Amino acid sequence: MSSTPSFLSSALIIGRKDLTLLLGRGTGLAQAFLLGLLIIFIFSLSRGIGETVSAQAAAAIFWVATLFCQVLVFTSLYALEEVNGQRQGLLLAPAPLQSIWLGKGLAGLIMLLLAQLLFLPAVAVFLDQEPQGTLMRGLLCILLTDVGLAAAGSLLGALAQGQAARESLLSIVIFPLLLPLLLAAISTGAEFLGGGVPSGDGENWLRIIMAFDALFLAAGLLLFGFIYNSRE
Amino acid sequence: MDMKKPTPQKNLFAAVAPLALLGALLMAGCHWMIFAYAPEERVMGLIQKVFYLHMPLAWWALFSFFLVFVCGIAYLARRTPFWDALAESAAEIGLLMAGLALITGSIWARVSWNTWWTWDPRLSTTLIMWFIYAGYLVVRRLDFTFERRATVSAALGIIAFIDVPLVFFSARLWPQTMHPSVVGRSGGLEGEMLTTLFVCLAAMGVFWVALLLTRYRQALAAQRLDRARLDYLNNEDNF
Amino acid sequence: MLLRLTDISRFYGQRLIFKGVSLTLEAGSVMLLTGANGAGKSTLLKIMSGLTAPDSGTVELLLSPGAQIGYMGHQTFIYPQLSALENLRFWSRLHGLHGKQEKSLRQEPAQKSVQKPAQDLDQKLAWALDQVELTRFAQEKAGVFSRGMAQRLNLARILMLEPQLLLLDEPSTGLDTRSRAMLDREILKAKERGAAVVWISHALTEDLPKADLVAELGPVSKKSTGLAYFGPADQFKAYKEVREHA
Repeated sequence: MSSTPSFLSSALIIGRKDLTLLLGRGTGLAQAFLLGLLIIFIFSLSRGIGETVSAQAAAAIFWVATLFCQVLVFTSLYALEEVNGQRQGLLLAPAPLQSIWLGKGLAGLIMLLLAQLLFLPAVAVFLDQEPQGTLMRGLLCILLTDVGLAAAGSLLGALAQGQAARESLLSIVIFPLLLPLLLAAISTGAEFLGGGVPSGDGENWLRIIMAFDALFLAAGLLLFGFIYNSRE
Repeated sequence: MDMKKPTPQKNLFAAVAPLALLGALLMAGCHWMIFAYAPEERVMGLIQKVFYLHMPLAWWALFSFFLVFVCGIAYLARRTPFWDALAESAAEIGLLMAGLALITGSIWARVSWNTWWTWDPRLSTTLIMWFIYAGYLVVRRLDFTFERRATVSAALGIIAFIDVPLVFFSARLWPQTMHPSVVGRSGGLEGEMLTTLFVCLAAMGVFWVALLLTRYRQALAAQRLDRARLDYLNNEDNF
Repeated sequence: MLLRLTDISRFYGQRLIFKGVSLTLEAGSVMLLTGANGAGKSTLLKIMSGLTAPDSGTVELLLSPGAQIGYMGHQTFIYPQLSALENLRFWSRLHGLHGKQEKSLRQEPAQKSVQKPAQDLDQKLAWALDQVELTRFAQEKAGVFSRGMAQRLNLARILMLEPQLLLLDEPSTGLDTRSRAMLDREILKAKERGAAVVWISHALTEDLPKADLVAELGPVSKKSTGLAYFGPADQFKAYKEVREHA
């Protein structure tokens, strides 16, 4: 008759559905991308005539744009389930609840990477940056940071579901928690853009990123059920 | 009507007034020690004395946040309302003390380094914690039902605290640091200064317990009041 | 026995909704769940579905392995931006219905009645849409559907699951006469298949003849709410009359 889908296949079914909805059908994606691009452009105004933007400032602007994009992406991912009570339908599915967290996390990760495909050239153009570091290492740092952003975003995005002013709520809750990741991403980003590492040790920053990823992946697996399933 | 009753802790609350009084006396004693007993620091001068308040405030703020974390785990395991009330009280007092620690720290920075704010691992960690728990208290005031609020806040209290070590390590890696390391390092406090510090820490602790119990009693009373009101409205004999 | 509730109680925040609710449901029976507004009918149904937990008491569910629960609440679970077919496919796959594995099973000749849904997922989706007369709208975005059409699509979602336990919360809300007949037909079919049905209805006089059992949530003492009536449907009317005279 039927077989309970595995944890991973449930997550993939949910993630695929979310990508279809966000990429193909809604305006949520355009909003997130435009906001990020605007932020990068507006920050380019802070540069005086003839001045250059430091690699660290450029990396910070890139990640601030990504952060705002992340908030919009994850609130819309969870808002999708509020239109007709689909949340209850997801809770009734046989797979463990964490597959919702993983599915939305994966969908959000892909959205973030797509957004950054736009943000990177925007940083190069508006902030006049040219990558100096090794490409592979730079991309690895971006990818690992995005994994942390997706894990935390998917976990805390569930918290804002059903609330008014979800975006600002998620922002004030998630930004301070993300600070270690943000500091590490800015430092490794500055290194990649050729400014050298501010504190002189890129390896330690990479460790912070990985520790953050591990922490929030574990927190997602352990705590998502409490946040998403708690009684109405 | 049947109700879930929170565990009454009457004996504990009887201690509030004596504790508050003891705390007040101890704090007064601390000030005598700070200004009369402890010698003036040679390099930093008079401003160093703000440290005797700054450090206990920061320390008890951190302990409050640890308590929020413990209450979160206990609530998720037991689902008893009083853990939630205790978590709320601890978070509020932690936020208050972290705020005062930031203000005293800022005053100190102004006098010794000529700037109101500088990137220092401990000060920055305190500021970020302040933001995290301010966000936590915002979530607590959202339009949730009791159980959803309690569950979500418990989970958030756990996430917030496990994030703190990472905040600290990353803040330490970030460039610029001027904050003096105080206890257990060379060039730290000695003799009378250290004694004064520990007495201040203990006095602040007594004050902290009194404050926590007061707030906790209020939170429990608010829960009871909600129940009583519903009871009254549910009982048709009253109309 | 398919479902047994023992001594269930449930609070809303700090307020008691009901307590001491115990009932047993056999396979192949239809139970109407009734009670005044706020008596906790929807909450009890959610407890049966597992959507929410009771504060005390136990819920025992004896479904055969792989069997599903079909829950139809006040909301339709429909994604407006997906087509009717895509909506149906998503929920079916999330519940573990998929074509690939079934194909090997299809080797043995299907000899059961024509009513039996086909094994292949796509065929089954088409069958379910046909049952609720939405075949023509399969590719349309569900967001443009009327309330009745959306509710029929919701019904198709449940038909896909072939649930062994069917939980319906005022399912006929927003349905026209024709769709109501469709719903009645499906409830009857589910019953014949051996499924148990719990049905919250606001049209009691109309729906009473279709039920085997009635459970009424109401005051059981001066101060508490519980199961005021639980018994055969044909005796419920008499019980009501006696109570109104008292």
